[in-house]
Amino acid sequence: MTATTTQESLLNELYDGIPLEVRLELEKRERTRKTRQGETLLQHGLTPDKLTLLNSGRVEISVNSSGHEVVLGTAGPGKTFGMRRAITGEPAEITVTCLEECEISEIAVAEFQAVLRDNPQLYFVVAKVLSADLKIVDELLRSCSRRVSSAVRAKNVREV
Amino acid sequence: MAVAYNLQIVENCLKCTHREQRLFCDLPHEALLELQKIKATSVYPKGTLLCLEGQPPRGIYVLCTGRAKLSTTSAEGKSIILRIAEPGEVLGLTAAVSNTPYEATIETMESSQANFISQEDFVTFLREFPEVGMKVARQLTHNCKCAYSEIRSLGLSNSVPEKIAKLLLHWAEHPLELGRRMNGEIPIRVTLTQEEIAQFVGTSRETVSRVLGDFKRRGYLRIKGATWNILNKPALENMVTT
Repeated sequence: MTATTTQESLLNELYDGIPLEVRLELEKRERTRKTRQGETLLQHGLTPDKLTLLNSGRVEISVNSSGHEVVLGTAGPGKTFGMRRAITGEPAEITVTCLEECEISEIAVAEFQAVLRDNPQLYFVVAKVLSADLKIVDELLRSCSRRVSSAVRAKNVREV
Repeated sequence: MAVAYNLQIVENCLKCTHREQRLFCDLPHEALLELQKIKATSVYPKGTLLCLEGQPPRGIYVLCTGRAKLSTTSAEGKSIILRIAEPGEVLGLTAAVSNTPYEATIETMESSQANFISQEDFVTFLREFPEVGMKVARQLTHNCKCAYSEIRSLGLSNSVPEKIAKLLLHWAEHPLELGRRMNGEIPIRVTLTQEEIAQFVGTSRETVSRVLGDFKRRGYLRIKGATWNILNKPALENMVTT
């Protein structure tokens, strides 16, 4: 367990534009570890208890339903996962799988929510993270052009 | 109270009777006072373009009454409806928050009241009032959920009839109050044209017309103007595999 370095933290969308003291508060709560290839960071339908910050490596993002898999794309360093859970408490809509060995930092949702309560200005960053997620999905909708089953058939991995 | 396009205009958010039911507007008194200062109320007729895809963000619209469609253009140049916004939604949110061009063209589908807030004022409002930040975050998570659902739908639906059945079942979740459940029928109000339904499910208007005709022949659906009656919900549910 090590704290993420400031240089790494600056890469993450969660830390982009937040006051230094809030960033330090969050960094104090980080648990950083390596993952193995194929490890699932977020599982569709389950309620994650951690916010995951991807520091290095690449992950695949997919949506599962009735045994089918629709690959939305891949993501690299700087992406945050689990934000929807932290805000609404709802289960994850997506599955995130490591394509290679990755380094991630995790913050317990309860701890993140406590920092959020004490630092409501963080909501603006939360909104930016969620906006970025929404842009990705909207872009995919646009590119797929609603071609029936195309996403399943082609598994068109797109850069996120 | 002023009236335009048959809409009663609510100029004062503090006096709005719908506030508590709306995703964004149920704010504390102090925040509402500030909202009242920074918003500009307007009423728009059906077919008004509130913003265009690709335009730099000017601000957001809080949709007070009416509905609006969010559409985009596919790589093939086709118009695609991303979603239909309901009263209480904030439109143009992603662009305003991330300071990027509008993601979609937003067009009113009926006479609508919307409160405009400039991007600068909105971002300040968001930073100063945590409750606003929370509402915005919740709205964005809601939008994300809808978009993921749409992705699932487009990736996993096998046929146009299935997709139209899904759409009808979705609309049936919000039936018209008048005559609700009469004889097991579910009345819904549909203001989309067949062309727009085609844009929604990714097919041609002709195919939509053919599928709806088939649904009518089978006794699943009755259409009278903008009021449609779902006559056999279980049959539509059986068509949906995901």
